[in-house]
Amino acid sequence: MTRKIFFAAAFLFALSSAAQAQGALSLQGLGYPSGGISARAEGAGSSLADFDPLSLTTPAALAGVGAAAIYFQYSPEFRRVTTSSGSASTTTARFPLVAGVLPMGQAWTLGLSSSTFLDRSTETDLQRVQIVGAPTDTVTLTERNRVLGAINDVRLGLAWSGTPKIRIGFGAHVFTGSNRITFSQLFPDSSKYISTAQSGRISYAGFAASLGLEFHPSRVIGFAISGRKGGDLRAQSGDTAIGSAPLPDHYSASVIYEGISGASISARVAHDSWSSLTALSSSGIQAFDGWDTGVGVEASGPRVMQRTITMRVGARYRTLPFGLNGQKVSETTFAGGLGIPLSRDRAGLEVAIQRASRSAGADDIKERGYILSLGLRVSP
Amino acid sequence: MKLSSILPRLLAVAALFLSISSCSENLDSSGVCNVLCPPIGGDVKTITLDAAVEVDTAVQSFSGLGTDPSLLLAKRGDTLDTRVIIRFDSLPQTFLPAGDTAQPIKSVDSAYIQLIVDTLSIKSTDPVTIEAYDVDTTANDTSTAAVLALFRPDRFISSQTFTRAQLTDTLKYFISNDAVLSRIQNNQPLRVGLRATGSPGSSQLRMSATESPAGGPVLFFRATPDTATKPLVVLPFSRTPTDDRILAAVLVDYTVIAEAPAEAPPGVLAVGGLPARRTYFRFIIPDSIIDSSTVVRATLLLNQIANTAIDPNDTVKVVPQIVLAGKVVTDPTKASQIIAAVTADTLRLKPGGSGETAVELARAFALWHTAPPDTLPRAIVLQSAVEGSSPLEIRFSSSEDIAALRPRLRISYTSRVPLGLP
Repeated sequence: MTRKIFFAAAFLFALSSAAQAQGALSLQGLGYPSGGISARAEGAGSSLADFDPLSLTTPAALAGVGAAAIYFQYSPEFRRVTTSSGSASTTTARFPLVAGVLPMGQAWTLGLSSSTFLDRSTETDLQRVQIVGAPTDTVTLTERNRVLGAINDVRLGLAWSGTPKIRIGFGAHVFTGSNRITFSQLFPDSSKYISTAQSGRISYAGFAASLGLEFHPSRVIGFAISGRKGGDLRAQSGDTAIGSAPLPDHYSASVIYEGISGASISARVAHDSWSSLTALSSSGIQAFDGWDTGVGVEASGPRVMQRTITMRVGARYRTLPFGLNGQKVSETTFAGGLGIPLSRDRAGLEVAIQRASRSAGADDIKERGYILSLGLRVSP
Repeated sequence: MKLSSILPRLLAVAALFLSISSCSENLDSSGVCNVLCPPIGGDVKTITLDAAVEVDTAVQSFSGLGTDPSLLLAKRGDTLDTRVIIRFDSLPQTFLPAGDTAQPIKSVDSAYIQLIVDTLSIKSTDPVTIEAYDVDTTANDTSTAAVLALFRPDRFISSQTFTRAQLTDTLKYFISNDAVLSRIQNNQPLRVGLRATGSPGSSQLRMSATESPAGGPVLFFRATPDTATKPLVVLPFSRTPTDDRILAAVLVDYTVIAEAPAEAPPGVLAVGGLPARRTYFRFIIPDSIIDSSTVVRATLLLNQIANTAIDPNDTVKVVPQIVLAGKVVTDPTKASQIIAAVTADTLRLKPGGSGETAVELARAFALWHTAPPDTLPRAIVLQSAVEGSSPLEIRFSSSEDIAALRPRLRISYTSRVPLGLP
């Protein structure tokens, strides 16, 4: 009888548990969508993304690269989360984008790139009082949860541009990556209690295809549309499939106006069907479809040391994929950036700084982040 | 210098500084966990297994005569009487006077045995008289009866009375110079039996044995009154039994029990006492608990029975040990000798105490998780920290007692958390 009661208790206990501690608004669910957009586009509030060959939002833009290029981006985020009961400051080092673009002849361009799709890196310590043993035996238990890793979007893109007015691109995407999870329960008195530690690794795999079109009816204005349609994103622990959900569809449309000498104004709106990922939550964390809008300006700036510095400013508003307590988490970003040509334009340093504010409905939780993006482009 | 040349450098330096400062991640968001981190592991569950004890029994400690690290010299009225035997089977025949060559020993002066006393173990504030007897005999080395029979007037060597203030941690017990000289000249062993007496006949002190890191008894004497010549130092040594050098080594000093409190009655578990006993427990624990769950705390719940025979309010340290004997060792007494320390936690119990006592066994469960029961039986032993050198005995109800008082096992566990998807 005692044994049966034990089994029943253990079973119910296992069902009620899930690794869901996140510690930030932006890290709910499967994580923060940090990648896909180059430092150049980030500096202009993401509005340039659909015209930027080094961003992943549309394969059509690959055709505008000009010369072969290799691009690498580093984007640390300095984040501060404030709640009614305290605050936390964190630093997350991210490498959200690496890309290589190779023009093949006059019309075709091939691009291979990898970007962070959802970054789940976080660590939390939660202390709580727990009864262990007799009903009067209480102890402060520390639950330490550490998650490292991300789902990445690896894209092979091919773009065609037979005429300056039209660019068309196709992309094949592989979504891959893993989350390494370590969960510890730490007790203070080692002579009475045994602290526990568990580790796990969840790997992800999925496929998607994207299509993009860029149309420049004149020299002063351009339009771009793109879309990505995915299959299922499967999650696996060891050899065991633990979940599956459709990859979120992504659509975007952009416009750019280049009628002002030395400057361009752009705007972009995109929609992501993040809600499809709700099925990948074991604890019912809700994902929301969301709009991603941005507007920005890029302009030639001063000449410094015989180099023309490009300057950018922009703003962006978007809904993050995963909500908190059923509330959408939104992010408003103000950004600025510089483009600095190096080595007679055979290389370039793109710098962007973004100030992101995140909130979730009426909840008394505020999150501020500064994201510094440093992108280095080299044309070999 | 123009601004146009400074600006890029400033930007480069700023970017470099920020990049370097962000190289080391700090992901810890604990400060907001009260709001943003729901508990993952859930509650710790606790079950109490009433029938978990398969075997529980008190067994004799086979640590062996002379193996204890301390010696107990006691005379507690009619309750307790223990003697201490020290063997100096090898006495020097010569000495080296200062500035001279070795010469035969023809006189003995200032002979004393240095004893390292645990002053906290002294039970009385009254003076203590320690008598020394010649306990050399050809009887069997482990025959305590034969040795006890030698504490008689014709074997008397010397006597010395100490006030409580004189009972310091390094005690000089002076013995008869003639007795020492006689053994030297006749090439005989000096085997000294110490007996405590005292008014009103209640004396008890514990001293270090040779097995103790503090060192055992040592015999000092001078072979000449000339203080320029260093005293001779003789360490305990036993020549017998000649066919068992290991036993001979431990019999250099040991405690002999002449009178001890009555043992716990059958069906009662006992730890400590004289002769020393241990309690052996073997458990039946569902594999699901050890293998599938994560035990965070395990407690053996015992009902202590008051034992007022001697010093009921003194403290006894009880140490849980894990049994390493595999399944081929079926005898609990033998299995209780093959043990290892399992936890840093030591129980402090008073013999006169009663009621529920908790023995923490979480460490044992951690070990059991690593090996099957055939290799590592789910068994423990409770042992006194001063086993063999303290008369105090802790008693517990056994599984033969009424249901409410039987040993029980309380286990607190968490199930494995399905790590992965949020």
